[in-house]
Amino acid sequence: MSARTSKEIRAAWLAQTLEWGRSDAPPLAFIGIDLRDRPDHPDHRFDLTVEPGTTVVAIGDEDSGVGDLGGLALGLRQPLSGRAEVFGARIGQLPYYDLLLFRRRIGYHPAGDGLLQNLTLRDNVALPLRFASDHRQTEVDDRVNQLMEDFRLRAVAGLRPAEANEEDCRRAAMARALALDPDLVVLEAPFDGLTGRAAQDLLDKVSRRDDGAHRAVFATVQDLVPSVRRMVDRLIKVADGSAVEEKP
Amino acid sequence: MTAVVAAIGRSGARRLSVLGGLARFALGAFRAAARLTRAGRWVTLRVLINQIRFTALQAIGLVTFLAAILSFLVISQTVRQLGRLGATDLIGTVIVVAVIRELGPLLTALIVVSRSGTAIAAEMATNRVMGEVTALEAMGIDPYIYLVLPRMLGAIVSVAALMIVFDGVALASGYFGAALSGMHFQRYANIVLTTLSAKDVWLTVAKGVVFGSAVALFPSYHGLAVKAGPTEIPQAVTRGVVATIVAIFISSALFVVVAAG
Repeated sequence: MSARTSKEIRAAWLAQTLEWGRSDAPPLAFIGIDLRDRPDHPDHRFDLTVEPGTTVVAIGDEDSGVGDLGGLALGLRQPLSGRAEVFGARIGQLPYYDLLLFRRRIGYHPAGDGLLQNLTLRDNVALPLRFASDHRQTEVDDRVNQLMEDFRLRAVAGLRPAEANEEDCRRAAMARALALDPDLVVLEAPFDGLTGRAAQDLLDKVSRRDDGAHRAVFATVQDLVPSVRRMVDRLIKVADGSAVEEKP
Repeated sequence: MTAVVAAIGRSGARRLSVLGGLARFALGAFRAAARLTRAGRWVTLRVLINQIRFTALQAIGLVTFLAAILSFLVISQTVRQLGRLGATDLIGTVIVVAVIRELGPLLTALIVVSRSGTAIAAEMATNRVMGEVTALEAMGIDPYIYLVLPRMLGAIVSVAALMIVFDGVALASGYFGAALSGMHFQRYANIVLTTLSAKDVWLTVAKGVVFGSAVALFPSYHGLAVKAGPTEIPQAVTRGVVATIVAIFISSALFVVVAAG
């Protein structure tokens, strides 16, 4: 069996997900989304487009609805009105199994990291490669080794999340989000509890694809330290259900 | 009167809806098998082996002990009573029908439910509460593939294997019970082998599949149905285990009807 390059492996699994969406569409767009409890005035709709290769952060209070944006982008929840489009596909409208397949194009870091507690950090990182791709066992091992190295997780690879510290868990969750080297990464509260330096380091790693190009990153936060603000292309404040552009 | 009918109707509708949900859940688990990726198969096999180790290997001691005691008690008492009537040849029917065909599978399934059914329900409910199920779906991983399928296959293999262990131990300790009343091994073996038929083998296999599926399916379904938070976990475990026990007894009765037909 001939060895495949990482480019060939990526192209093979990506091909399964290209059936939906358009090649010229932005990675992520929220169109007329109602973030409040019930539909009200049309002026209070959330519109935002995340262009390829840019890092966009939505910031807002806990009750602003900013925490719902990640779930809407992944199709994990449905908006009261409006729609979320990922690579041009209305993600909320896809049938369940198509949706599962399509989500492999998106890296996702849920709030609270969402690591599986009965797996080691290494196995958590390997999970999407093993179950959501056609990687061979040796290819999975190579990719996981590379991610453990990049995210400085080698020393703690055998620990379960409950045995590791918060920063290592966050690193593992980020590494897992990047396992399939996606073009779009959605991060929910990714820097909570981290130092500014650790947050900077993680955002730098997340925003670059394996081939060195910038990937689209969309993060939702309640607070952002100045050093990380400087790395962001667009900062959007969620206020009154609308998107207000702020200076990073 | 109308209120009573409405209450009965509501309860019936709720039960039917749970049954429908279970049927969908079971179908989802079987369909998931067709969607396993190459690398996923290895991981599923690893989870499956772990499940068999916990469900079958670690339960062998308990199953052996209970099978030995039960069979010894039943056979020694029965041989004594039948001896008074001069009908010790009927001991074969008692062993095969009561112990091997009915009590063995039932007790084995109940042992597995009490050990593994509770563990499966608690694990699934915790997965749900900790947001791990959502994380799996967000990664494009079907929770049926990762969580339900290996446990279901593991439970089927384990229950079937434990039933065979139970039957073997029950036959052996049954001899010691019969020997107490002076029955020789040759006679005991002749009586048992004459009564045992191929139908008993197939029934054991079929019960292993049905009871094993129930042991994994009901606890998984109720565990994954948890919504509110950690306080719901013990309730989900109770619901899962009670539903499994009821399902095992009902299917055991159905097996009698089918086997008699």
